[in-house]
Amino acid sequence: MNTPYGVGIGWRPEISGFVAELPGLRFVEVIAESVPAAGPPPDGLLELHNRGVTVVPHGVRLSLGGAAPVEPARVAHLAAVAQLLAAPLVSEHIAFVRAGGLEAGHLLPLPRTHEAVDAVCANIARAQADLPVPIALEPIAALFDWPDDELDEAAFLNEILERTGALLLLDVANVYANARNRGTDPVALLDRLPLERVAYLHVAGGAERGGFYHDTHTDPIGREVLELLAELCARHRPPAAMLERDGHYPPAGELRTELDAVAAACGFPVVT
Amino acid sequence: MTGFAVDYDTWGVPGPTFITLYLAATVIAVAVVLVRRRALLGGRAAPPADQLGPQQVAYLNGGADFAVWTSLGTLRSRGAIGVDSERRLTADGPLPPAATQLDRAIHYAATQRIPARDLRRTEWVERALVELRDGLDQRGLALGPDRRAALRQGPLLLVALVVLGVVRIVAGLANDRPVWYLVLTVLALTALTIVLLVRVPRRTRAAEAALRTLRQRNRHLAPAANPAYATYGAAGAGMAVALYGTASLWALDPVFAQQAQIQRHVAAGGASTTGGCGGGSTAGASGGCSGGSCGGGGGCGGGCGG
Repeated sequence: MNTPYGVGIGWRPEISGFVAELPGLRFVEVIAESVPAAGPPPDGLLELHNRGVTVVPHGVRLSLGGAAPVEPARVAHLAAVAQLLAAPLVSEHIAFVRAGGLEAGHLLPLPRTHEAVDAVCANIARAQADLPVPIALEPIAALFDWPDDELDEAAFLNEILERTGALLLLDVANVYANARNRGTDPVALLDRLPLERVAYLHVAGGAERGGFYHDTHTDPIGREVLELLAELCARHRPPAAMLERDGHYPPAGELRTELDAVAAACGFPVVT
Repeated sequence: MTGFAVDYDTWGVPGPTFITLYLAATVIAVAVVLVRRRALLGGRAAPPADQLGPQQVAYLNGGADFAVWTSLGTLRSRGAIGVDSERRLTADGPLPPAATQLDRAIHYAATQRIPARDLRRTEWVERALVELRDGLDQRGLALGPDRRAALRQGPLLLVALVVLGVVRIVAGLANDRPVWYLVLTVLALTALTIVLLVRVPRRTRAAEAALRTLRQRNRHLAPAANPAYATYGAAGAGMAVALYGTASLWALDPVFAQQAQIQRHVAAGGASTTGGCGGGSTAGASGGCSGGSCGGGGGCGGGCGG
C-alpha cells in the first residue's frame, strides 16, 4: 500500500479540476462523509486513484471525543470508504461534534481530563476494532480551554497516542493557532510531541480577527505557519504534508504558489 | 360474370408486381437518402476537442444564445463588463487581450449600454455569431443553412414515393382491390420521411464526439460540483457556461445574472446537469433560489470542515 508521500491537497469537488491537473501529486485527502459507502467514489477521485495517487479518507463526523460510544454505523462508513479507495490509513479528529443528541455542526475540543482521555481512548479502540487500516488522530484548534483541564496539550495527546497506538495527524496551523491564542510557544509543543508518529501534516490558512488567530481554511497560509512547518520538518520530517483549503478558493496560480511554499518549507519535490 | 374483374388490374399492373417494385424502389431510395445524410453529417476531418474555444463549444452545444452567454461569462469574470440598475450592460474594464470577435461585439454593445436580452438584436453581435457559425461550418462541425437544406432534399425523393403510393391506394380502393400491404409500406415510409425532414441536426457527428469528450473532461465544471470559478479562471468560467448553460452563469455571478435578466436553467439537450453530488450528511444548504421562476436545481455539496 502507498502511504501518503510528499505534498498533497485536500480533494474537494469545487477544485477537483485543479487537483486533477497537478502533475507530481501523489496523495490527496477526501472528506470521508462525502463519499458514499456503497460507491462509486466521485469520478475525479476515482481518476486520481487509478493514476496511483493515494487517497486518505478524513472523517469529520465520528465524534470520537463524545461521552457516548462512537456510532458503529459511522465507523462502518469510514471503513467502507477506506476499502473503496484502497486507503492505507484513515484520519479523524480528537473532538466531539454531538452531545446529548444535539449536533454542534463543527468540531469541539475535549476537556483535557483523565476522564476524557479514558472516554476518547475507549471510542478510538472501538473504531480501531472495526477499521481495516490504521487511524491517524488530529488534534483540533481551540479558541478556549476548559476550566477543569488536568493535563496540558502535549501530555493529553501523548497519553491518547500511547494508549491507542494510533498515528498522529498534526495540523501545523492548529498548533500555531493554539499557541498563539494561549500565548505559548508552538515550538515548545513540537518538542514534546512524538513527531516520528506523524502520518502526515495538515497546513491551512487562517486570519486574525479580534486579537485571535482563526484557523479558517479559507485564507492564504500565513508566513508564521510556514516557518513553523519548516521548523517541524527540520526536527523530524513526516512522510507527507497537505494543503487544506475549504472555501474561498483563490485563482489556480495562488493555489500552486501555496503548494510550492509547502514543498519548499518541507524540502519535498514540487507537485505543480 | 365473375371472371371479369379478376383480369382488371389497377393501371394494368397486378398488385403483387406493383408492391414488389414499390418495395424495391423504397429500399433503394431510403438507402440513397441515408447514405447521403450520413455523409453530410459526418463532418470530414474535424479538429480535436481541445482546439475548440468556449464560444465554439457553446454554439455547437446550444446554438447562438449559448455563445452569447458564454461570452458574457468570460467577459464578466475578467471584469470587463457589468450591469447598471436599468439592466443595461456596462463596459467596466478594457477588452481582454484574447478577445474573440463575439467578445468584441458584446463589449462594444456594453459601451453602448445595450441590455443583455437585446444583444442578439444588434447588428455587431449577429454578425459575429454568423462568423462563428460559418467558421464551425467550414471546419466540419456545425451545419450551416446550405448543408441543412441539402439534408432536406433527400427526403423529398421519399415524399414523391409516398405520393405515388397514396395515389395507387386510392386507385386500388376505387377498383375494389386489396391494398393492405401497400398501406403498411406507405405508412412506414411516411413516418421515416417525417423523421428525416424534422430531425435535421445543427451539428455533425464530429461535433457530437468533441462535445462528449469535453463534457467528460470538464465534469468538474458542472454546477452540481459547485465549481470554484476563481480557481478555474475566465477560461474555465466560459467553458462552464458553454457546456452547462445559464445555470453556470447564475452560479458564477448571481447578482450580475439577475440584474442582467439572464434566463435561469437553460441547458442544452444532452448536457444535463444531473451529476451526482456525493452522499454525505455534512452538506449545508448552499445557495437557494431567490426570486424568479426557479424550478429545481440549487446548489448541492456545501463545505465540509475538518
